[in-house]
Amino acid sequence: MSSNYADQRYRQGSLPGSAPLAMAYVPMQTSAAPAYEAEDALLRGTLFPGLDLPFMGLVNRDLPSTPLAEMMAIDFVVDELELYLDTHAEDEEAFALYQTMLSLQKEARERYARRCGPILQSDMLGMDSYAWLSGPWPWEYCQRKEK
Amino acid sequence: MFVYEKKLQYPVKIQTPNPALAKFIISQYGGPDGELGASMRYLSQRYSMPYPELKGLLTDIGTEELGHLEMVAAVVHQLTREMTPEEIKKAGLDTYFVDHTAGVYPSAASGFPWTAASMQVKGDVIADLNEDLAAEQKARVTYDNILRLSDDPDVNNVMRYLREREIVHYQRFGEALRKTLDRLDEKNYYFMNPAFDR
Repeated sequence: MSSNYADQRYRQGSLPGSAPLAMAYVPMQTSAAPAYEAEDALLRGTLFPGLDLPFMGLVNRDLPSTPLAEMMAIDFVVDELELYLDTHAEDEEAFALYQTMLSLQKEARERYARRCGPILQSDMLGMDSYAWLSGPWPWEYCQRKEK
Repeated sequence: MFVYEKKLQYPVKIQTPNPALAKFIISQYGGPDGELGASMRYLSQRYSMPYPELKGLLTDIGTEELGHLEMVAAVVHQLTREMTPEEIKKAGLDTYFVDHTAGVYPSAASGFPWTAASMQVKGDVIADLNEDLAAEQKARVTYDNILRLSDDPDVNNVMRYLREREIVHYQRFGEALRKTLDRLDEKNYYFMNPAFDR
């Protein structure tokens, strides 16, 4: 994936030219670009190729193509951008991307709640029964592969 | 106020129950560098953070860590489903089982119960952010070690995801420290504690 980015500067951040002693300095990430597509971001655990530093070079593949995984990917990009914006509140391009993702998130959540049930209890507005207790809970999984 | 979202941050679907793996993965639930300590550390430190970007970051990362706590619990829960007493003994999970059955209890792999002694709230922005940087590295190494011990692909997917989040959080805490320095006296960053001294 990272070989698609011929220019490796996204791996570098900015440091002061010189700085007071007795302090730790982590380079500032200088941009929210380049960024992975949402599904790749969730699989790799980060939106940002410059922060994608896997153990022994192994990365996750094959996100299930379910409505839930699709929503998780969009939610993940929103979460990741929020952490970035907490330390880069002045980055207008990142904030514009955040706005786009929030709007995608709203659509994805409404679609998911209608098809599969509520994520938030407030998703039950207009539903005809208390669907909060229906369906599996997030930690449950019953399918089994024989040893 | 917190609101529960009825979903995980990343899918957890363990196809093969394996109590031997649960025996050490429980450490990321309630061990010294686990997700319970991480969430409590950040969500408690935020009250003495002097600047909005720090209050925001500690709140957001602390909240994400609660989501990771739930993911680790899901892994342990799924690894320990449908166990027989023979499988429990063979896996060495009997010392856990006798106290907790197949419940999810916050303890280290050694069995030591979760303790706030493995985290700190110093009430000083430089000290607390340096602790947070170290905490992310220690959690990253714990996931490295789990990946060395586990050969279950479904478990390892989740561990690789959580490990990468530690690296992203490390970067953000480092940036938060840089933003803090911009607000302090560069002739002497240790002149006073901006959360306490007026």
